[in-house]
Amino acid sequence: MSGSGAPAVELDAITKRFGDVIANDGVDLTLERGTVHALVGENGAGKTTLMSVLYGLYEPDGGTICVDGQPRTFDSPRDAIDAGVGMIHQHFQLVDTMTVLQNVVLGHEPTDNGLVDQDSARAAIDEVCSTYGFDIDKHLDTRIEDLGVGVQQRVEIVKSLYRGADTLILDEPTAVLTPQEVDELFDVMAELTDRGQSLIFITHKLDEAMAVADDITVLRDGESVGTVDGASTSEQELARMMVGRDVLFEGQERTTEPGSVTLDVADLRVQDDRGLEQVSGIDLSVRSGEVLGIAGVDGNGQAELVEAITGLRPVESGTVTFEGRDITETSRRDRIEAGIAYIPEDRQSEGLVQEYDLVRNALLGNQTIEPFVENGFVDWDRVREHAAEIVAEYDVQPPHVEADAGSLSGGNQQKFVVGRELRHDPDLVVASHPTRGVDIGSIEFIHGRLHEMRDEGMAILLVSSKLDEVQKLSDRLAVIHEGEFVDVVDPDAVTEGELGLLMAGRERAAADGGVER
Amino acid sequence: MLRASVLERFALAVVSTLLALLIGSVIVWATGYDAVEFVTSLLYGAVGNLSNVAFTLRQSTMLILTGVAVAVAFRAGVFNIGVQGQFVVGGFATALTILFLAPLLPGGPVGGVVLMVLGTITAIVAGGAYGALPGLMKAYADANEVITTIMLNFIASGVVYFLIDAYLRPSGTSAPNTESFPDYVDLPGFAFGSGSFSVIGLGVALATALGVYVVMARTSFGYDLVTSGYQESAAAYSGVDPKRTVVTTMTFSGMVAGVAGAMFAIMVLGYYSDPSTFPSFGFDAIAVSLLAANNPLGVIPAGLLFGGLDAGGQYIGFTLDVPSELVDGVIGLIVLFVAAPELFRMSARRFGLGGDDR
Amino acid sequence: MSVADYAAEHRLAVGGGLAALAAVAAITLLDLPGADLLTVGAAERSLQAAMPIALAAIGGLYAEKSGVFNIGLEGFMIFGALTAAAAAWLISGESSITQGDLWLAILVAVVFCALLTVAFAVLTIRYKADQIVAGLAVWFIGLGFGPFGATVLWGGVSSPTLPNVNDVVIPGLAELPVLGRLLFDTSPLVLLTLVLTVLAWVVLYRTRYGYWIQAAGENPEALDTAGVDVNRVRYATVIFSGAMAGLAGATLSVGIGSGFTGTGVTMVDGRGWIAIVAYLFGNYNPIGAFLASLLFGAMDMLQIQLQTVGISLPGSITGLFPYVAVLVVLTLVGYTRVPAAVGEAYETESE
Repeated sequence: MSGSGAPAVELDAITKRFGDVIANDGVDLTLERGTVHALVGENGAGKTTLMSVLYGLYEPDGGTICVDGQPRTFDSPRDAIDAGVGMIHQHFQLVDTMTVLQNVVLGHEPTDNGLVDQDSARAAIDEVCSTYGFDIDKHLDTRIEDLGVGVQQRVEIVKSLYRGADTLILDEPTAVLTPQEVDELFDVMAELTDRGQSLIFITHKLDEAMAVADDITVLRDGESVGTVDGASTSEQELARMMVGRDVLFEGQERTTEPGSVTLDVADLRVQDDRGLEQVSGIDLSVRSGEVLGIAGVDGNGQAELVEAITGLRPVESGTVTFEGRDITETSRRDRIEAGIAYIPEDRQSEGLVQEYDLVRNALLGNQTIEPFVENGFVDWDRVREHAAEIVAEYDVQPPHVEADAGSLSGGNQQKFVVGRELRHDPDLVVASHPTRGVDIGSIEFIHGRLHEMRDEGMAILLVSSKLDEVQKLSDRLAVIHEGEFVDVVDPDAVTEGELGLLMAGRERAAADGGVER
Repeated sequence: MLRASVLERFALAVVSTLLALLIGSVIVWATGYDAVEFVTSLLYGAVGNLSNVAFTLRQSTMLILTGVAVAVAFRAGVFNIGVQGQFVVGGFATALTILFLAPLLPGGPVGGVVLMVLGTITAIVAGGAYGALPGLMKAYADANEVITTIMLNFIASGVVYFLIDAYLRPSGTSAPNTESFPDYVDLPGFAFGSGSFSVIGLGVALATALGVYVVMARTSFGYDLVTSGYQESAAAYSGVDPKRTVVTTMTFSGMVAGVAGAMFAIMVLGYYSDPSTFPSFGFDAIAVSLLAANNPLGVIPAGLLFGGLDAGGQYIGFTLDVPSELVDGVIGLIVLFVAAPELFRMSARRFGLGGDDR
Repeated sequence: MSVADYAAEHRLAVGGGLAALAAVAAITLLDLPGADLLTVGAAERSLQAAMPIALAAIGGLYAEKSGVFNIGLEGFMIFGALTAAAAAWLISGESSITQGDLWLAILVAVVFCALLTVAFAVLTIRYKADQIVAGLAVWFIGLGFGPFGATVLWGGVSSPTLPNVNDVVIPGLAELPVLGRLLFDTSPLVLLTLVLTVLAWVVLYRTRYGYWIQAAGENPEALDTAGVDVNRVRYATVIFSGAMAGLAGATLSVGIGSGFTGTGVTMVDGRGWIAIVAYLFGNYNPIGAFLASLLFGAMDMLQIQLQTVGISLPGSITGLFPYVAVLVVLTLVGYTRVPAAVGEAYETESE
């Protein structure tokens, strides 16, 4: 541990490019020893890239890293670990089938006559635990997979400390935790800084950043917007810094009124792959010619809700009704045929087959739709025309239908997917993060198309964690938190600050000032 | 882009085959045989005279059919190693059909055609059913299809042998063979004059390859299968049921293997016998399919090549005393090299032959 | 805990229980003399039949635990069986083969197969070859070059009859009831198999190398960031699996057999595939894999046992028992939790 007054970490003008995309553009960050420094920003703002540079996963294209006052270059995470920098990833670097003890000592096992010396391992871990007040000692012989996420996270932290880290990067550590576990984590973080540890805390939840951070740096589009004092800033200030105003475009005035109910969801409960309930009794309805937006922090049940509606995930209970027909039990294919289009969150693995050209990708999801397929036979000429029409109308670059999907940029991939899903007049569009990772020009284009479609009478269910997007596109806006709707608001009458509080799970009354009426 | 990858696959196939043959020649030389004579004899055995060509084409017919069966499954991302067993079961179904129905139907060419068609249909059904079994086990019990299909190969062979030996062996004989099919149940040899090869059989193989190609490339069913093989999550997104697709893939693959069995029983044997003595077409077919990048049309040239290798290998077995198993080993080497395209990419890069533009 | 979970956790218990139930049912229904079926002789034969399966299974489970599915076990066993027979034949100068020659031959087979797996490991780890296809290729190569090699040496696909490793009687211990005859008055390879099984268990669960192997197959990134070279661990386990398959093959041909047989699918006859199922059934635990091998070994020997009690089923049917057992095990016990990173080549994440 450094005894000097030098900052634990000093990042100076870090720049990182991926091809033509600048992920980090001259970012500065100073982590004082014994403090918590929060790094906030939207998805894609460059938070994880910056920390990957610090952790030795990426080599920066420009800028310098100083640890404890010493300039460093890290070729691999091992170098970073040796310099005392540990990282707690969102996906834990733990071996599920091994015990807590085995995970903590992995790669640094004390041995005795060739066997792992269980006693000295235990003693060393106990020492770390008692120093920082961890309670995992009773779990040492439990396998990771049998532990809750919160405990697993503490094991990750203990592992870093066991390896001698004095600076920890916590990458969105609260995203996977329950509120109680979040509180426990914050206690742990306070204990760690009391003992001289320095922490970088990545989050996009503003209240959390304010609750624990001494300093808060806001990233937007790869640039640092500024660093503010955690104690004196406000959520409104942070929200403004995070979102900015430059990307916004004005929502068009609507030309038609919403019609009859297209999609109706009643008391829906859905579990994730691990069998945990992620959607806990949601009711919603979308009318034709209406956009229902769902805002919320990622991982609050949006993905499961969307999959349940589009037929990719079975429901536990509740019903999904489409145009008066109960489709809760029908297959994905039936729902496609009935007229439900789906712009998936993950265009790379779901929306497109990377090794197919655009012609073959134009058939994806249309395998039973005339005129592309008749009597089971594909009319490839017709599909090719369709692909060419999408490319032309949605301005997909380069404009070649023979190009493999994998060779296109993210924005152009997304425009192709959006075009394919919207071009055959669905009655309902489920759009999940339709502009994630997409350049500004394409964002405006996609937004414009969605509004046109709404005016033509389509029902649209829009899920996004971008506040400006849901606010501008939606006619009604539901805020989801831990699998439930906190509130449904008028997007024009709500402020970003209020939305931020709702996304954090606070009721509107509290957001308004908390006076009981 | 697509063209480049077809070219690359073709180059990979050629280089793998040549390298494997080279290693085979070195082994021949190292074990004290004449390597030059080995290669020339291999060629002569494959295409040296009309009867050698007939033998090559007979083997090719079988390899194209079984190769297509493998290609169907591999294309869809399912490792059907059980084509041998499905082919054995299919052929047995053909033999049963012909032997049991022959006394009930009129003889002569018409009866022959009817029997052969019925025999082929039952082979398709039986092969499909035997393929569906591991498909169901994989889809609904998570049983690894590589292992189940290999076990089912052993079981098919053992059970068919038992049934023939116990119930179908004519009394007074000791070999585990069924009675011969009636004379009129046979495909004409035409110009080749071979008792075990017919152009009609080859025609069936080519038509099957073409038909499967059309199914895979031009129908939505084929699109579903191929998309599942490339990217299962995208297939699910597009409305494909992954479990059902595994079962239909295996069934389809087994049906094609059934056609191979029917051709083997009708064209090659003219009776049925202990399957453990059959050539391992179902395994060589894996090499054929991989060499063809699992493309049903590509299976045709690959099947012709392997038919020639097989015929040549058996020829050197007779004439040079070089054990014909050598060719099986060479085929194994081809599979090994085809499985490791990176090997050639990296060496091509090292020797500056391009490839670095990827 | 659901029934399925319980079954998965206690698969050996469940499997053994099912087997015992089936045995009791068969004995009662068919009115078999049960006591005659379960003799010490039967146990001894089962143990011997289980040996090659268990040895290959332990090698295979090490490879798969570390993330490489060595589906070529069957092929490497063929090479092991041939090499051992050939080495014994050549070392002895084609005349009377001594016990020393046999042991040396076994060693040669182990080393030779280890060298062969170096090539396999380079292709699958460095050149990222498809593990399943490459493993199948190994089988084909074995099926081809095994009998080929035999023909070059002996003029036919099988070797002449060769002697095998003598039984060893350990004085004193051999007098123990049942156990004495099973372990201390039998082929020393039985004892070797047991020792290797226990050793494999200790290394896997009690040493740092075992930790690394488990991490390499389950979460290679975690191991990499802990400063251990994932691919080095994988090379080591794959080469070990080849050596064990070589030992398994050698056990078949000169350990308990009488030379190399190359007809049909050779004398290995699917044991490499059964070995894979044995370790899956044993849940990647060396001791579990050994017990599962014992089950399959008993299946293999059931024919003789049935004959001794006067039931004569055709060999073509009883020979299928192990394969059917494999299918039943795979379908009923169902899902085996495969190490998460099996089949994926690992590249360290940093640029």
